[in-house]
Amino acid sequence: MALGTRIVVIGGGAGGIGAAGAARATDGDAEVRVFTEFEDVGYSPCGIPYVHGGEIDSFERLFLADKQTYEQAGIDVRYETRVSGIDLDRRTVAVEGGQSEPFDRLIIATGFEYERPEVPGSDLGGLYYVKNIRQAMEWDRVLDQARTAVVVEATPLGLEMLTALAHRGIEVHLVDPRPWLLADVADPDIMAPVEESLTDLGVKFHFRTEVQQFIGDGTVRSVRTSKGDIPADVVVVCTHKRPNNRLAAEAGIKLGSTGGMIVNERMETSAKGVYGAGDCVELPHEVTQVPIVALTGSHAYAQGKVAGSNAGGGDRRYQPVYVPWGMVAGKKMIGGASLGETLATALGVPFVMGVAEGISRARYYPEVQKLRVKLLFDPHSRRLIGAQMVGGEGIKERADFLGVAIKKHATVEDLAWMENVYSPPIGALNEPIALAAQDCLARLRG
Amino acid sequence: MSRLFRWLRGNAERYLLLASQEEMARRYLQREGPVGRQNFFWRRLFVPVYRVLPWGLRRKIMSAMPGSHRQWSRGHAPRRRT
Repeated sequence: MALGTRIVVIGGGAGGIGAAGAARATDGDAEVRVFTEFEDVGYSPCGIPYVHGGEIDSFERLFLADKQTYEQAGIDVRYETRVSGIDLDRRTVAVEGGQSEPFDRLIIATGFEYERPEVPGSDLGGLYYVKNIRQAMEWDRVLDQARTAVVVEATPLGLEMLTALAHRGIEVHLVDPRPWLLADVADPDIMAPVEESLTDLGVKFHFRTEVQQFIGDGTVRSVRTSKGDIPADVVVVCTHKRPNNRLAAEAGIKLGSTGGMIVNERMETSAKGVYGAGDCVELPHEVTQVPIVALTGSHAYAQGKVAGSNAGGGDRRYQPVYVPWGMVAGKKMIGGASLGETLATALGVPFVMGVAEGISRARYYPEVQKLRVKLLFDPHSRRLIGAQMVGGEGIKERADFLGVAIKKHATVEDLAWMENVYSPPIGALNEPIALAAQDCLARLRG
Repeated sequence: MSRLFRWLRGNAERYLLLASQEEMARRYLQREGPVGRQNFFWRRLFVPVYRVLPWGLRRKIMSAMPGSHRQWSRGHAPRRRT
């Protein structure tokens, strides 16, 4: 007979493990059980491209904790155990093999699936979907033998894999139907230096090009595109992520227009006592009030903490998101927060813009880097609503800062006349963010 | 019902983004827009109509869709302007 509250977590990624830890921390008597279909939990899948690229020397370094650590923390992880159904009336989950597991609170953290290219040859070997660390270890050996590779779509993962494969000395081609890199998120002027940097690394771009077929005999040998065939020993499919919500949908839990589970601020789904976290839930984007899905690992982990804490009897709230983001692509760093010009234009959000080119250190200091900052403001309230940046350093910190600036309703004047750190090795006299805001003020004055 | 809203959102998002990417590619890169099969209704009717609607109305339509945003307390999103 169970002594404490029975908390079941489906999924062992950042959301699931964050939830399990928070549930135990909130209710020390709770029985916390995590089901994962994979061999491992608690590692950083985001680090996989950097092992492939040689920046990180082994996959083992991506693990945050060993299996014993979870046992010692009182978290019962059931590895390689797939949950096949959820019965909300009986408060049980069905585990493949026939077992039924009762729960008092359930946390669904089933993550995402890649959109599969609907073209002939999609079932061939040699198509790599970067996700699971054990598979990544095997793929790393395949990459040792590969001379040519095709990356399908310039998503954030696509950019990381282009960089990684180029670092490895593989001839790498990008195929994407859009006209520039990361076109669903970032603006073309922000991505132009990245394209140049990747070109310097030897990457070959096939923009405005569609994949029509994967060709091979059991294993892919080339990719047929709308502009011709490209030989490929490996194809890395980096298409968009979609919420993996089959279990939730079958159980009758409400999904939103994104396909993600609808949750409230406590990360509770439409079913009482059932919570969601990570890529399988949708969250409101504060500036537009539009729900969005498929954010970052840090979002998933933080949501898991809220969901787990509430499942354990706590009362925590998650906040609407502003999505500060940043990454390295080629030798450039890019990042931003909330909206860019492309997305704001698509949604029809009114904005006025300021753009500036600045520098990351004092102009005379070695290795000083250029920085382009683009800020979007609401023309009525003059509040910051979005930002994008490209440069060689200092992007992440600025993206974090700008995310908070949006949240705290910073105006164009606040940023134009902000105080800034000036120290030759780490900051220039003129902060590029302030310069971009001053440019916006000049535009507003006409 | 949620399938209908997913279909609506998926198409609206795709075609609004396509139109915006076309505009940006021309302005910044002197390149053509994205390639791929396009549906006449969404590309040639929905996008132009959406673009002439006032922002307040567009926002109301987006907010009316079911989703997590309707379960949460409201924040500071820009509420007006066209």
